[in-house]
Amino acid sequence: MLLRHDGFRRLCEARERLQQLDDPAPTIEELALELGVSPFHFIRQFETVFGVTPHQYRIQARLDRAKALLAAGDLSVTDVCMEVGFSSLGSFSTLFTRRFGEPPSAFRRRVDAADLTPGCLSLMGGVPGRSFREA
Amino acid sequence: MRIKLTSVMVDDQEKGLRFYTEVLGFRKKHDIPVGEYRWITVTSPEEPDVELALEPNANPAAKTFQQAMFAQGIPLAAFEVGDLAAEFSRLSGAGVAFTKPPTPAGPVSLAVFADTCGNLIQLYQRM
Repeated sequence: MLLRHDGFRRLCEARERLQQLDDPAPTIEELALELGVSPFHFIRQFETVFGVTPHQYRIQARLDRAKALLAAGDLSVTDVCMEVGFSSLGSFSTLFTRRFGEPPSAFRRRVDAADLTPGCLSLMGGVPGRSFREA
Repeated sequence: MRIKLTSVMVDDQEKGLRFYTEVLGFRKKHDIPVGEYRWITVTSPEEPDVELALEPNANPAAKTFQQAMFAQGIPLAAFEVGDLAAEFSRLSGAGVAFTKPPTPAGPVSLAVFADTCGNLIQLYQRM
C-alpha cells in the first residue's frame, strides 16, 4: 500500500485523537467520518500502518495511561479506571492483566514496594517523576 | 571501537519481533526477559554480526519523540538493500504501507515504510 501525503496526515491525526481520553470518546465510525473516509477504509489503513485497529489502539492508550497513573501512586485503582475512560472495573482489570501480565492492584502493590533506580529499563517502564525521586 | 549494536523503539515488543522477523526477514538473535520487558535483538542473514535491538518505548518521553518524528515523516532507521524495486514489491505484497515509493536521491535510491510499531524506516540502495 502506498500512502499519499493527505492519507498519512489523516492517520496521524486519528492516532492523536485516539490517545485523547475525552469523554464521551468519539466512536470509530464518527472518527472516520470526521476524517472524511469510510470506516472500513479507515480501520484497514490504520491497522496496516500501526499494527493494531483504531479500537485496539485506543484501549492500549488508555491502559498505558492507567499504568502511569497507578505508578504515580495518587489515585486508587477504581479512580484510575474511571479517569482513563473505562466504565467497568472488571473489564479494566481484565484488559490491564492481558496487556501487562498482572492485575492493576498487583501492579500498584509491586510499584509501591519497589526500590526504583534510574536505569535504562526502569526508566523505560514509564513511571514519570517517581524513579528519579526515589533513587 | 566498533558499531555492533543499534536499536529502534517499538510500541509493542512482541508485535515488533513478528514484524521484523516474519515480514522484513531478519532473524531473532536474543530474546531475554528483563523485568516486564525483553531484551530482543535481530540480525540480518546478510550481516549476522550487527544486531538491532527492539526496545520498548514505554517511557512517555520516548513515545512523544517517536510520534512526533513519525508525524513529520522522518525515518528513525535506515537499512541498505541490494535491489530496492524488488524489496518494495515484496514488502508491498506482504501488506506493508509505504509513505515514499522508490525515489532516486543522488547517489542512492530511497523508499520509506511504516514498521507497524510507530516508526518510519528508510530503505536505500546505492546506485
